[in-house]
Amino acid sequence: MITSIIINIAELIIGLAGGLAVGGGFVAFITLLGIIPRLVQISKADKFIHAFGTCVLAGSILGTYLSFTDITWNLSTIILLIWGGFHGVFNGMLAAALTEVLNVFPVLTKRIGVQRYLLWLLMAIVFGKIFGSLFQWLIFVK
Amino acid sequence: MTTIVYLRMKKNIELSYLKAVKLKDIALVATSEDVKKTLENTSIYQISKKDNNIVVIDSFLVIKHLNKMHPDLEFQLVGPTQTIIRINKNNKAPSVLKVAFVWLLLFIGTAMTIMNFHYDVSMQEVQQKIHYLFTGEQNEFPLWIQIPYSFGLGMGMLLFFNHWFKKRFNEEPSPLEVELFNYQQDLDHYIHHHENRLNDNQHHH
Repeated sequence: MITSIIINIAELIIGLAGGLAVGGGFVAFITLLGIIPRLVQISKADKFIHAFGTCVLAGSILGTYLSFTDITWNLSTIILLIWGGFHGVFNGMLAAALTEVLNVFPVLTKRIGVQRYLLWLLMAIVFGKIFGSLFQWLIFVK
Repeated sequence: MTTIVYLRMKKNIELSYLKAVKLKDIALVATSEDVKKTLENTSIYQISKKDNNIVVIDSFLVIKHLNKMHPDLEFQLVGPTQTIIRINKNNKAPSVLKVAFVWLLLFIGTAMTIMNFHYDVSMQEVQQKIHYLFTGEQNEFPLWIQIPYSFGLGMGMLLFFNHWFKKRFNEEPSPLEVELFNYQQDLDHYIHHHENRLNDNQHHH
């Protein structure tokens, strides 16, 4: 009895500590990549920046719930389409931001001197991502 | 009363051949009309083969040189303190073959990295679980999520970079342009320091 209470408390602390570390790291990662400022800039919604922060929080909690729960809903495929689309756009921004952080482009254009074809090369990356992703889901995994 | 000459150094200039650099090439001059012409055509520096492709001209040396020639004038500097001269002997467009190679490199490289990323984070499994959670049916290949996801991936990147080929979505600079600008600034800053003889202790006589 006593041991089970101690174990429960220990688990509680471990869970909370793990959650704190992961949550802090996640927010730091999102902030570092500058996706939220970019979205605010594009949507010209400076006023709602706090709302965006809340969205990230709510999304993280929903995601956590979804990964641990075992329920099912009987939703239509349209929801799947929308879900997949949004996931893709977000991941695309993430990937773009990473390329950005790694300074691939400036170095590439400087070294090889292909500055005027920069946008074409950007398209290479965009199409590469789409192609790689489609190839994986449609052919590679089957 | 001494005439005041205002000098504003140009930050960066590009030359395509070796030539004698005149003051008007590296600086903007503001003063009374009669001295302006002579000042602008004063030779400042002769670029030679051993300069390789970057020369930094410090405003201090320019003023020193001009002061010697025109002791009656007073020189005032506004703006940047030095000019970077880049010598570009062959400024022709890169070959189509080279661009095609880089294009293919990026295309295949990003395709592979995204696949590795999907494996790394077990995206297939997560999507299967989401599919089951939403519809109540097991499906090993939840394409209804995966195909929109794939196209969304490209859209997100475009959104981030603010470009669709040459067309842009709004007037603001994209993070890519800002990044290129910052990188150029960093390079200039480095060159300012290391190619400028005034910053080198060994050359102080």
